[in-house]
Amino acid sequence: MLQKLLFGNLTLDAIPIHVPILVGTGAILGVVVAAILLLITINRKWKYLWDEWITSVDHKKIGIMYLILAMVMMLRGFSDAILMRSQQALAAGHAAGYLPPEHYDQIFSAHGVIMIFFVAMPFMFALLNMVVPLQIGARDVAYPYLNSISFWLTFVGAMLCNLSLFVGEFARTGWLAYPPLSELYYSPDVGVDYYIWCLQIAGVGTLLAGINFIVTIFKMRCPGMTLMKMPIFVWSALCAMILVALAFPVLTVSLALLSFDRLFDMHFFTDYAGGNNMMYINLIWVWGHPEVYILVLPAFGIFSEVVATFSKKKLFGYTTMVWAMAVITFLSFIVWLHHFFTMGAGADVNAFFGIATMIIAIPTGVKIFNWLFTMYKGRILLATPMLWVIAFFTTFAIGGMTGVMMSVPPIDFQVHNSLFLIAHFHNVIIGGVLFGYFAGMIYWFPKVFGFRLDERWGKVSFVFWVSGFYLAFMPLYILGLSGVMRRINHYSDTMYQPYFIAAALGAVLIFIGIGAQAIQLIVSIKNRRALRDVTGDPWDGRTLEWSLSSPAPFYNFAFTPTVQEIDQYSLDKEKKKNLHSHEMHYEPIHMPKNTSIGFIAAMFAGLAGFAIIWHMWIPGIVGFVGMVGVLVARTFMTNIDYYVPAETVKQTELAHLKEIAHAR
Amino acid sequence: MKKIAFTQFSKCLFKFGIFLFPLMLLGGCNEHLVGMLDPKGLIAHQEHKLFFDTLALMLIVVLPVIVMSITFVYHYQISHRIRDYKPNWSHSYFLESLWWGIPCIIIVILATITWKKTHEMDPYNKIPGITGTPLVVQAIALPWKWLFIYPQQGIATVNYLEIPVGQEVEYWITVDNVPMSAFFVPQLGSQIYAMAGMRTRLHLVADTVGVYDGMNTQFNGDGFSDMHFETHVVEPAEMQRWVNDVKKSSHSLTDAAYKELLHPTTADKPKFYSKPVPELFNHVLMTYMNSSGPLHPRNNQLKFQ
Repeated sequence: MLQKLLFGNLTLDAIPIHVPILVGTGAILGVVVAAILLLITINRKWKYLWDEWITSVDHKKIGIMYLILAMVMMLRGFSDAILMRSQQALAAGHAAGYLPPEHYDQIFSAHGVIMIFFVAMPFMFALLNMVVPLQIGARDVAYPYLNSISFWLTFVGAMLCNLSLFVGEFARTGWLAYPPLSELYYSPDVGVDYYIWCLQIAGVGTLLAGINFIVTIFKMRCPGMTLMKMPIFVWSALCAMILVALAFPVLTVSLALLSFDRLFDMHFFTDYAGGNNMMYINLIWVWGHPEVYILVLPAFGIFSEVVATFSKKKLFGYTTMVWAMAVITFLSFIVWLHHFFTMGAGADVNAFFGIATMIIAIPTGVKIFNWLFTMYKGRILLATPMLWVIAFFTTFAIGGMTGVMMSVPPIDFQVHNSLFLIAHFHNVIIGGVLFGYFAGMIYWFPKVFGFRLDERWGKVSFVFWVSGFYLAFMPLYILGLSGVMRRINHYSDTMYQPYFIAAALGAVLIFIGIGAQAIQLIVSIKNRRALRDVTGDPWDGRTLEWSLSSPAPFYNFAFTPTVQEIDQYSLDKEKKKNLHSHEMHYEPIHMPKNTSIGFIAAMFAGLAGFAIIWHMWIPGIVGFVGMVGVLVARTFMTNIDYYVPAETVKQTELAHLKEIAHAR
Repeated sequence: MKKIAFTQFSKCLFKFGIFLFPLMLLGGCNEHLVGMLDPKGLIAHQEHKLFFDTLALMLIVVLPVIVMSITFVYHYQISHRIRDYKPNWSHSYFLESLWWGIPCIIIVILATITWKKTHEMDPYNKIPGITGTPLVVQAIALPWKWLFIYPQQGIATVNYLEIPVGQEVEYWITVDNVPMSAFFVPQLGSQIYAMAGMRTRLHLVADTVGVYDGMNTQFNGDGFSDMHFETHVVEPAEMQRWVNDVKKSSHSLTDAAYKELLHPTTADKPKFYSKPVPELFNHVLMTYMNSSGPLHPRNNQLKFQ
């Protein structure tokens, strides 16, 4: 009895010691983790790690942690991609490939979940955290402590998802876990429970972060920065975060209802006893469609910033850009049905959602033309961030085009669920979202770390990524049109094989691109003195973040800036306004203290999640009570802030001025 | 007439686009490809045409974008020292109304086509312009195989569909003991989901004799990849001969034989049954609609996994 309450359904059998791939992966991962822990211990860095990072509420450090999480998870998600591509390249005709369905099905499910939730989302929050407060002239986000909770919840969700590799298994249902496949009858094992709880925990983190940024943008802008004078990236963040606040509760409720079905034999979405699986499919896409705009809007913001900066020109059509994003934000909520035209809804319903979908192409097209005419009559510097933007234009135009084509219901009746669809959404998510985030990461890297990334290796990775992308996904369009479906483990017709081999080679090119990015990072760290950004304004930027030193001081702005125009910093530079002065009167700065509560609460949440997956009721209660307990305890704490002495501020600022003077 | 030229033009462009990629050249087997690129039914032909019309319409915007993005970047590079530099030029009513306007017009055209075609090609409706009563085929998705019942003919098949050329076929579709699936013969036209306790419908007509691949397109578990069936489109007379042959089959689709089919299997060879249980399709629907309690209606007999 006690054993049941403590360990639930968890036994030693849950550890897959009979699967050689997993044992190998586990061994390598174990060695790597042990090596890292050992290095930290040898260098006595535990205290540093705890004081400076784990308990930090500084938005820049939280941004860096989000970035590291996204990068690590990208390696995981990409290994899944390599496994799938090689399986499909091999498994033609009578060959079965090397991955049996029960393993392969977990891989494509995990690939989708990881790439969206644990790569794209953390990557987006990394950039938002690093940039938004600096761009609006704020000292931090509105709720720094909440920010720490959000990150650690996302982190715990990702770790829970990784844990499913070695304890139990992951969902075999595809990345949205449609019922009735995800119901207990068809999926009796813990895979779907891992899916539900890693997303529930990470999803709450995302929702809290969304609220945090909405408040930050509405309440923390510096004097003079009216909404229509905000940098365009802040606008894109605001639109995306409004979508987060509206869409993520739907995800939380859908997954909660699904977990009730599985835990308590309820019938929300079962295929019997009055359950309705069509309801889940509607609900999950009511969240899922806005989700892709949550990802792509900040990328649009980045493109706007990068195009303007590297064309040395004002962004074309600022007002139109803002309105285009607002229209996209609104429309993204009334198109969800286009993900299942084939469910048998009537022609009126299908046509309505189809037309609503193609209308989104209008504001999106407007944005593209505005970017093009930002470059027109500009002076374009082809640095790596700009290269990603240029690759984006063609890639995104193709992806957008195939998207509009699929929004015509009779066409969708032919290409739905086929590899054409897979090619389409990778075309927009890699070509739109990921290229944008890469551009943003390179662009803002010096602001966060104090030195630029190596250009040469950046260009190498760019070439391999883009060519690999085209080689990997263009064959999928052809295959999709020839009637090859997504998620297939093998196929009998060998004439498809050359296309799959081409796609696999594309994945190899992308792999080289990722390798080049890793080398770029290492080379840049090695040459950080030569690449040092002394002035804090390496790209001749236009917005407030470039008025600070690189890396920005922990309090961000010694003086709250004031703004009269869009691109204020660029105007200041033009007018040669004296931005730095020795005779300033420095004042103490009010700052939040670090706190471990976010980390501890998230760990309890992770324990609760793991316990529910395995029906371990005692640890489950401990986890839940612990999480609520520490959150409540925190509300009674009063010693949560402090003042940075004016002298410290003065010394920091003077050191920066001295460095600039020295560089000149 | 003009429209056909339009389609032709976009097809050329599309093929050109494909051959831009060197490995496609290496593969070089474009003409062997099947699916929607080689339609064999009226609906598939219409969808094929709609696909390339839409592609052509979209290219009106997409091609200039691609060309402009490359030429602008090339021309205005800082190293080219172009004199024409306007750092503060950031607004133009004329240009901005142009690129709100042109996409709007294109989308209005596309939306009109979409509204019309979506209604014309609604899979639940009889196909306009085809006369005669449709042949009814009831398709049930089972754990990784398809059961086809011909209620008017009194026969049933597994993983084998035979239909007469030129006659409209009305498919009634559902599932039993397998998660949501989807019925699709790419060369004949549209696909539609199969869901428990629900009957979805699809109208298709084949116009060329031949054998085409049919499949489930919705991932529904480990046996998904093998859930294919052969679709034989034959002359009506030959179809009649085949029906008569199957009717003589000693295997009849009894309740027991149907229960047997509910067991999960993959890659089943075609099977042919005479005398299917009367009203089997409706019975399957009602099994799910009338179910109650915590257990799946098939739980006491068969476990899915």
